[in-house]
Amino acid sequence: MSNWSALQNRSFLESNARDRALGLVDEGSFTEFVGPFDRRTSPHLETLGEAVEFDDGVVTGIGKIGKTPVFVISQEGRFIGGSVGEVGGAKMVGTIKAAIAFAKRIAKDFPNAEEDEKPIIAISFETGGVRLHEANAGLLAHAEVMDQVQRARGHVPVVSLIGSKVGCFGGMGFVAAATDVVVMSEFGRLGLTGPEVIEQEMGKEEFDSADRGLVYRTTGGRHKYIMGDCNFLVDPEIAAFRAQLAELAKLPRAKFAEFRRIGTSELVEKQLKGVALAAKMQPKDARDVWVHVGNSDPVELGSMPLADFRKVVKRLAL
Amino acid sequence: MESLLGQGRAAIGLICDPDTFEENQVGAKTFDDPDFGPGAMVGTAKLDGQTVTVIGNDAEAFNEKFPVVYAGIIGMEEAYKMAQAVYATVAADVAKAKAEKRAIVLIVDTPGNGPGKTEEIFGMNKATGAYQLALAEARMAGHPIVAMVIGRAISGAFLCHGLQADHILSLDSSFGTMIHVMPLTSISRIVKKDIEVLEKLAEGNPVFAAGPQFFHRLGGVEEIVTTIEDMHAVVAKHVAEVRACKVKDQDDALGPWGRGSLGAERGGRVVRPEVIALLETEMDAVAKTYLPGAA
Repeated sequence: MSNWSALQNRSFLESNARDRALGLVDEGSFTEFVGPFDRRTSPHLETLGEAVEFDDGVVTGIGKIGKTPVFVISQEGRFIGGSVGEVGGAKMVGTIKAAIAFAKRIAKDFPNAEEDEKPIIAISFETGGVRLHEANAGLLAHAEVMDQVQRARGHVPVVSLIGSKVGCFGGMGFVAAATDVVVMSEFGRLGLTGPEVIEQEMGKEEFDSADRGLVYRTTGGRHKYIMGDCNFLVDPEIAAFRAQLAELAKLPRAKFAEFRRIGTSELVEKQLKGVALAAKMQPKDARDVWVHVGNSDPVELGSMPLADFRKVVKRLAL
Repeated sequence: MESLLGQGRAAIGLICDPDTFEENQVGAKTFDDPDFGPGAMVGTAKLDGQTVTVIGNDAEAFNEKFPVVYAGIIGMEEAYKMAQAVYATVAADVAKAKAEKRAIVLIVDTPGNGPGKTEEIFGMNKATGAYQLALAEARMAGHPIVAMVIGRAISGAFLCHGLQADHILSLDSSFGTMIHVMPLTSISRIVKKDIEVLEKLAEGNPVFAAGPQFFHRLGGVEEIVTTIEDMHAVVAKHVAEVRACKVKDQDDALGPWGRGSLGAERGGRVVRPEVIALLETEMDAVAKTYLPGAA
């Protein structure tokens, strides 16, 4: 385990799930749920004779940022790509469920609680979705997580943090899209179909998954920020993600609905304007969209320092 | 072999009352652009005389604007169209009591979500996420949602169109129905185990094998339907069962959470409830230190 102060300046991209979880909340405030000492490992990996992890590749718990209780779910890409199986899925579901119950308890027993004393949920995604070794249970767990995300609405905000190596793809790409707020670093990637699968489906001339620039332009933080799929684009250190969470924690809980991209009839109508634009433009590259929304030099936009990018970038307004 | 694979349109007539399907009309919402989301069929029909919203996949349609959409694939337009149909259903019955809210019947035959570059640039994940949230909202608002798998229910497309339902039914595998994330042959390659070994293991553990019978054992499918003729009666029965639960506020027995309990009952997913219960106990033990005013 790392020293908390040292963690703050560590790269979110390079940090493992536990370090991210610990670093996001105040020093010494984190209580882990169903942690490694509980040894709830995947029985299905064992059946297949595969190595197990004592936390099944996801760290769950509660900590604090200032006065705010923060429920944390942090996925570990180093363990089978951060994939979700029965145990890890149950930990995610249980954590969101616990957060909803806790928020309801505070609403009932502490009617005068300050906004920043009410809980939030932070999910640090690093996953391609379903764990194939226990694919059916993993798929069913995804549906349960989505159900809990909908149940959380109006009770406790759910914030996605995306800035880890594996990105956030597959069924968990749906889940991240469905949360209230999406925070990314420029190294974060968010989507449904990973680059290798697109190449396999459409051919290398259409999408070369080895072209890192192309991969990041299509699903990376800068692009998703331009598209509005990412609400906040932060620096790549753990401290930057933590600072953004701290800012969000102070907001009136009713304000979180304004960050949503989907989840109401009106938002669906708004997103359909984007789909109509996609049909009209038939973009060959994400840069086509960047130019369309008013960024004259997309190559420069992709490579300039992040601080400059945030100042000059024009974003899609639907 | 008898099969409804790729015949979602025909299935509507077999599941609902014959000749009652009014396509492109849900409550006050009219879908009047024939080129919009053609891979999704939405509309209103009768089931034993009661109004239901029907949402299905049209395997014969091709979306010219988004060429990755064919054979029942759900693209961005399709997913948002399906979400619109759900919101229109909720709006149509907003003033009605739970016992009166119309059911939503999902007819499932889809091999996947749009896997393209344009889809990733604009956010395919967002489109299907929107449909799932709409279904979850309608379910929680009291609309009974029953999914009937007549063909393919594959991975993310099944998550999107099916797995947010209150109850899920499937024709048995002799009708060519497929429910899986990946076929066992692909899983065998990825997890580096011989297919024979996996098939043997699947007899005792339904967790990775492909097919409705394995999802049934995991609680992921409530009931297997064994003849095409039975579909109408079984769907109607489940709509009635679901409605009865909702009227009694027994929503915990339904939807993804209800299927979790069913998975444990059927012995397919026994670790899940233990983990959730342990997590709750551990939270209870520390909860007071995180309450307002705690040191």
